[in-house]
Amino acid sequence: MDFELNEEHRLIQATVREFAAKEILPVAAELDHNPRYPAEIIASAAALGLLGLTVPEEYGGAGLDGLANVLVQEELARASAGVQAIVTVQNSLVCDPILRFGTAEQKRRYLPRLVGGEWLGCYCLTEPAAGSDAMSLQTRAERRNGEWVLTGQKIFVTNGLEAQLCIVYARTEPVPGARGISAFLVEKSFPGISVGKVEKKLGIKCSSTVEIVLADCRVPAENLLGARGRGGPIALATLDGGRIGIAAQALGIARAALEECVAYASLREQFGQPIKEFQAIQWAVADMATRIDAARLLTYRAAWLRDRGERCTAEAAMAKLVASETAMWAAHRAVQLFGGYGYIQEYPVERFFRDAKITEIYEGTSEVQRLVISRHILGRR
Amino acid sequence: MEIIVCLKQVVDPELPARDFAIDPATRRQVREGRPLVISTYDENALEVALQLKDRVGGKVTALTLGPQGVAGDAIRLALAMGADEAVAVDDPHGVGLLGVEKARVLTAAIRRIGRFDLVLCGCESADWVERVVGPLLAEALAAACVTFVSRIEQTNGGLLVRRMADEGFHQLEVRLPAVLSVTSDETNRPRLPKVKDIMTARRKPVQVWPMADLSGTPADGDAPGVEVRDVALPERTARCEFLPGDAAAQVAALTQRLRDLKLL
Repeated sequence: MDFELNEEHRLIQATVREFAAKEILPVAAELDHNPRYPAEIIASAAALGLLGLTVPEEYGGAGLDGLANVLVQEELARASAGVQAIVTVQNSLVCDPILRFGTAEQKRRYLPRLVGGEWLGCYCLTEPAAGSDAMSLQTRAERRNGEWVLTGQKIFVTNGLEAQLCIVYARTEPVPGARGISAFLVEKSFPGISVGKVEKKLGIKCSSTVEIVLADCRVPAENLLGARGRGGPIALATLDGGRIGIAAQALGIARAALEECVAYASLREQFGQPIKEFQAIQWAVADMATRIDAARLLTYRAAWLRDRGERCTAEAAMAKLVASETAMWAAHRAVQLFGGYGYIQEYPVERFFRDAKITEIYEGTSEVQRLVISRHILGRR
Repeated sequence: MEIIVCLKQVVDPELPARDFAIDPATRRQVREGRPLVISTYDENALEVALQLKDRVGGKVTALTLGPQGVAGDAIRLALAMGADEAVAVDDPHGVGLLGVEKARVLTAAIRRIGRFDLVLCGCESADWVERVVGPLLAEALAAACVTFVSRIEQTNGGLLVRRMADEGFHQLEVRLPAVLSVTSDETNRPRLPKVKDIMTARRKPVQVWPMADLSGTPADGDAPGVEVRDVALPERTARCEFLPGDAAAQVAALTQRLRDLKLL
C-alpha cells in the first residue's frame, strides 16, 4: 500500500493549483456575486487539457487516470466550486460515458470537440417526478421513420444553458424501472430540444442549471448511446464516476474552509491574543483537518478502484457521502469561527457554506448514498 | 538553435518562514521534507528558451544538478513545458555546492552534451543569490556573456537581447555561442504545462550522469575557492520614527528617505 502520489500526479496537482490561484481565485467572489458563465476560464481550462482529463490521446485528451481527475477537481473547487461544477460535468458525466459506451464514430465526432472546449456537454437524467427515484423517469423515445423522437422534460441540468451536447435518458420500452431506459446523444441543434427555465440557486452560481424541454425532438438512430434498453446501467455507471467528482468538489470546498480558518485564526486577535491560541479554535481546526483527510482517502480509494476497472458503486457513494457532509460541516464551522465576518460577503466562507450544500444533494442526495451503501451491505430488498 | 537551460532545484521560496531552517553542521538550508521547485529565474530562462525555439526552431535541453532522487519533478516539469530532452547530473553529496563549484560541474556537463549555440540560466538562484554561474560558464566555455536578460530575438548570425538595467534596459547584439543569465519580465512568465504534455513528458529522453564521471568536477580534489563560514537568519526588528516638521517638510523627508532605501 502506497499513499504517495507519483511524479505525474504531483505535477498535475501543482499545475492546476497554480492555474486556479492565478485565473480562478481572483474572480471567484465576483462570479458568485454577479453570476455569469466564465467563458474565458473554461477556455483556459480547455487549453490546459482539463476538459477531457481521462480521454485518450487519440481523441485529443490527456489520458489521465481517475485519481488525477480527483486531484484536478479538488484544486479547481478549492478556488471556485461553481467553475469546478462546469468542468466536472464535462469530464465525468459527458466525456466519460461517451468513452465507455460510445461507438467509435460517436467518440470521433464528439470527444475532440468536448476536450477542446469547442462544445460543452450536459447530463439530462432528473425529471420533475424522478429525482432520487431517477429510474422512474417518464421522458419517452419512440422510433419513427428510422430515427428516434424524444418527448419529455428534464430539470436541474448543469451546463444546460451553454451546452451543445446533451446526454438524455429516455424510456424506449414500455416497462417500468431501469430496464426500459436508453441513453441518447442529443445535439442542441437538433429540432425539438430547447432550454426552458433557468434556475436561480443558493450557490455554485456561475454554472447554469436549467430545464431542458424535448418536444418531438428528432434524434438520428446512430445517436443512441450504448445498447437500446441499457440506459439505466449507463446512467448508474456514469454516476459512480460523477460521485467521485463531486466528492473531490466537496474536498476542495472543505479545504478552502479550513485554509481560510487557519489564516484567520492567526490574524484575528481577541482577549489580547490570536484566536488560534484558544483551544476551541485549535480543536475545530484539528477536527476539520482530520475529517477532510478521511474524506480524501475515501475519495482516492474510490478513484483507485475505478481505475482498476473494479466495481466501486458503494465506495464512490461512501466517498461522496463523507466528503459532502464534511464540506457542509467544515463550512458551517468556518462561518462560526469567523463570527460576524463569516456572515458577510467580504470574506469567502459564507460562499463556501452556500456552495457546500449542493454537494449533499446533486448526483444523489446523502440519503440516496446511504441507500446505495446499505444495499451493497445488506443486499437489495 | 541548440539551447541548453540550467535549472536549479531550491526549497519552495513560497513556504512559510517557519519552515526555513539552517543546518549548523553543513551551513546549508535544510531541504529534507520540504517541497522543491525550480528556482524562480531559472523558470524564466526556460520560458525564454522555449519561446525562442517556438520562433526559430531547434532543440532545448534541460540540465540540472543535484541528487538524482529529487531531480525527477524538475525534469518532468521542464519536459512537460516543452524541453526536448534532459540531462541530470547526479551529485550524491546533495546540494552543498556553491556557484563556483556548480559552474565547473555544469561546464563539464555542457561539454559532454556537445554542440550548443546558447546556454541560459537564471540571473540568480532563489536560495544563495550568488549570480556567478552564468558569467563563470561563459568564461569556461569561451562564450559571449550577457547578464539580466529579459528578451531575446534572433538576428543574422547572432542575437539581439534586452538587458535590464537600473535606468531602463540595454539592447545588445550578441554573437553565438553565448551564455545569458535571465531575469523576469512580463514576456517570460513561465507557461503552465498542458496536462497531456505532463503525461507525454515521460517519453522524452532523460540522461543521468554521475558527477564523478565528469572531468574537472570538484571530485578531482581542487579546493573550491569559496568557503561558507557562517549562515544566520537575519534578525527582524521593527522601528517607528516620527518625522519632524509640518506636512510639507514631512513629505519631503519621507520621499528622501524612501529614495535612499531605493523604494522610490
